Amino acid sequence: MILIALLLIPFLTGTLLLVARPAHSLVIALISAIACAVIVVGLWLMPGSEVVTLEHSWIPQWGLNFKLGYDGIGLLMLLLTAVIFPFIIAAGAKETYENPAVVNALLLFTQSALFGVFMSQNAFLFYIFYELSLLPLFFLLLFWGGANRRAITMRFFIYTLFGGLALLFGIAYCVVQEPSHSADFTALHALHLPYDVQVWLFWALFLAFAVKLPIFPFHSWQPDTYTMAPLQGTMTLGGVLLKMGLFGILRFVFPIVPEGVEFWRSTVIWMSIIGALYAGWIAFRQTDLKRLVAYSSLSHVGILCAGLFAWNTYGISGSLYQAFAHAVLVVSMLYIVGAVQRRAGTTDLSKMGGMKLQTPRLAALFFLVLINAVALPLTQSFVGEWLMFNGLWQLENGGWMALAAVLTIILGAVYMLYAFQRVMLGPEPRNESGVRLLDADRDDHLFLVPLIAITLVLGFYPAPILHLLEAPVQQLLSVLN
Amino acid sequence: MSALILTSVLGVILLYLGLFGGKKLLAPVGILGLLGAIALFVMDKQYINIPQFANMLSFDAMGISFSIGLLVITILIFIFGIDYYANEEKNVAEQFALMIFSVTGALMMVSYTNLLSLFLGIEILSIPLYILAGGKRNSMRSGEASFKYFLLGSFSSAFLLMGIALIYGVAASFELPKVMAMAATSGTNILFLLGCFFVIVGMTFKVAAVPFHFWSPDVYEGAPTLVTTFMATVVKMAAFAALFRFVTMIGMPAAVGKALLLIAIVTLLVGNITALRQSHFKRLMAYSSIAHSGFLLMAILSNSANTPSVLFYYTFTYALATVGLFIVFTVAKRAANGDEHIRIFRGLFRSQPWIGVMLLVMMLSLAGIPPFAGFFAKVNVFMLALGAGQIGLTVFAVVMALVGIYYYAVVVREAFTASENEPALVVAPTNWLVISLCGIAVLVLGVMPGWLL
Repeated sequence: MILIALLLIPFLTGTLLLVARPAHSLVIALISAIACAVIVVGLWLMPGSEVVTLEHSWIPQWGLNFKLGYDGIGLLMLLLTAVIFPFIIAAGAKETYENPAVVNALLLFTQSALFGVFMSQNAFLFYIFYELSLLPLFFLLLFWGGANRRAITMRFFIYTLFGGLALLFGIAYCVVQEPSHSADFTALHALHLPYDVQVWLFWALFLAFAVKLPIFPFHSWQPDTYTMAPLQGTMTLGGVLLKMGLFGILRFVFPIVPEGVEFWRSTVIWMSIIGALYAGWIAFRQTDLKRLVAYSSLSHVGILCAGLFAWNTYGISGSLYQAFAHAVLVVSMLYIVGAVQRRAGTTDLSKMGGMKLQTPRLAALFFLVLINAVALPLTQSFVGEWLMFNGLWQLENGGWMALAAVLTIILGAVYMLYAFQRVMLGPEPRNESGVRLLDADRDDHLFLVPLIAITLVLGFYPAPILHLLEAPVQQLLSVLN
Repeated sequence: MSALILTSVLGVILLYLGLFGGKKLLAPVGILGLLGAIALFVMDKQYINIPQFANMLSFDAMGISFSIGLLVITILIFIFGIDYYANEEKNVAEQFALMIFSVTGALMMVSYTNLLSLFLGIEILSIPLYILAGGKRNSMRSGEASFKYFLLGSFSSAFLLMGIALIYGVAASFELPKVMAMAATSGTNILFLLGCFFVIVGMTFKVAAVPFHFWSPDVYEGAPTLVTTFMATVVKMAAFAALFRFVTMIGMPAAVGKALLLIAIVTLLVGNITALRQSHFKRLMAYSSIAHSGFLLMAILSNSANTPSVLFYYTFTYALATVGLFIVFTVAKRAANGDEHIRIFRGLFRSQPWIGVMLLVMMLSLAGIPPFAGFFAKVNVFMLALGAGQIGLTVFAVVMALVGIYYYAVVVREAFTASENEPALVVAPTNWLVISLCGIAVLVLGVMPGWLL
């Protein structure tokens, strides 16, 4: 029942906002998002709540059930979604655009679909929610996006759907192979497909998530889309939506085609790492702050994927831990981008500088967010990255992989500090109007301080999250043997 | 079966009503009669699987569900017709009556047990359509459509008849059970295979499968929109049911299977790729209809126990979305003074939000995006094909489905883009009703496909 509530609260609130278009839509949306956060945190703290499931007969002709539930990994993802979404919605307070009620409604619809994805216990249900999460974003990008939004939105849509259709093919294939034609994950995970089938089926199942994450060379939709999307759209895409990719890999790829993963593992890891290095290098060369953040996200995601495919305790739990860190990071970093953009009137790095002189508190907040981005010890990212490097190191030839992955961290530090320097340090900007820039106000602190606190607390004491992952990760690894 | 007699008589009644000036009564009487026919299909359980009319027809479960589906779609088109024909002075009775006759032919096609009744059904379906396609008598394009459809239609009928004659030559009977027995014993007889091939050519013409599709964009474009709707929905449903019956009967010899596979592949390819280049809505729908024929042919190719229900689910939900979309198109076309380019949808959402949402739902259903009915229809087809071991074909179809999403998304994008001069859209209550019914049905059947499968 409580799981249905998670689906319905955002959905119904969103519908209400869409139909009634009230003036205080932000407050209503925020209340809904916080209510969901309270529920999910409650599930997390309640002992033994993993058994909460829901099952209804749905399409009896196919033996398809409407089955919701979650394990530790699912709970982590739910937690991430529930914690991040209030922030994404709150970020709209400083934005000025038409029809804020509709934007909030679309965000809530996305949240509902994401909850659905993370709770589905059935491959078809997963797929439906997975695609549904795309629709609100399609409209968000199409109406509220920046320059050239029509073409970029189309490309984003087609790319993601292409991956999605490959996944659909994969699911259909597995379900047909399953003796009782059941699409439940438990049934599909028990499937033992022949080796040569697994080798090609791997790509059918993996492609959707490779595009969603995205990893090199399926990433070409990402920088344009992130740059063009409205701030909250980019937060949703980078903060939460791409985690569906990681989650999907753990749900579909590892358990169903373990031998396929074995075969392609080093290819995928090298693709991810090369992509990460490449994106890091491009980020370094960017002159636009938002684009820089887009490429830095691309670089981080490459390492996430590499860590996941290390496929050992360190790698998987590190990758999932880092997924959480990355969500917090993306949202806070983009908020800073928005704040800087509002003050400087541009995101062009070459036109900025010396902002710290007028906005010291914003500079301080930026720096605190930045230390998470460069994975300084005692931040959440450090824990995640460290675990992932350990995971990679344990592989055959893993030394080189870990080395290459560490290089991306160095690159990350370089371009992040470089961005900080270009925005905040240096001489005063040539300010013709002579108006002093406003420093970070109460709202900015209310937004950023909790996020920074999460980063530091979980960086110092990661046990609660890692504990959550222990059992499901062990179960995933047992497939390997 | 009494339903069949009812529809035949209904057509005559409508003609007389028109003769005595009851123009306002035409659609209501037609709808009532069709509802009566549905009721008869639902109630006459004792006729199931018992050959009727001297072994010409036999209504099995598939035949009955298709018949009811056909009648429901026809009712929706009739409701559309109330507004569509409201401004015409005369000759409305003929239009409605011809549609009723055509549906009667369709009902025969979905439950024939004799090759002659198949031929009769196809002809009863087609001949009224040749006339209907030329319904706009002052329009050259409408005349061209009618003439083209008539010529090519007769050509395909000739093929069909030749095929039936060849099958008769081998089996010495028109009755399906006897032909079936013959196919089981000497299915590789060259004359028999040639006959089967000709019959399939005749029927693929009706479903507009490549390479027998050339008529369809021109006819869709030229015919009055209501007739186009009728052709895209009722004809397609009936023709696929008929094709499936024929294919199961001959037991799909290898040569026929190969031919159908080839047709399915080129249909998917040509339909989807050509649709990408269309900016004229009716032509776009024509190519989309060709593309959907490709998916449906995949279902027929798999030839498994689930095929009839999948075919029904697919064609019925496709028909629902198509009817709704053509009505939205008619509304938008009026506001744009007869323009048929897809840009007429621009600003639709702003001026009529509900209609805009319904267009979105139906377009996404055709594109096969969850949770709308078109998604489950496509998944069903993929599962059937995979079940039959057609992995390569399925991969190809998945790619083609992606191509399809693009051109539907373009229309959606138009509808949700604001335009400089807001179109003054007037939606008649009856049209509003049908659009809403179709949109909601597509959504509900997508969420609960179990109700229809």
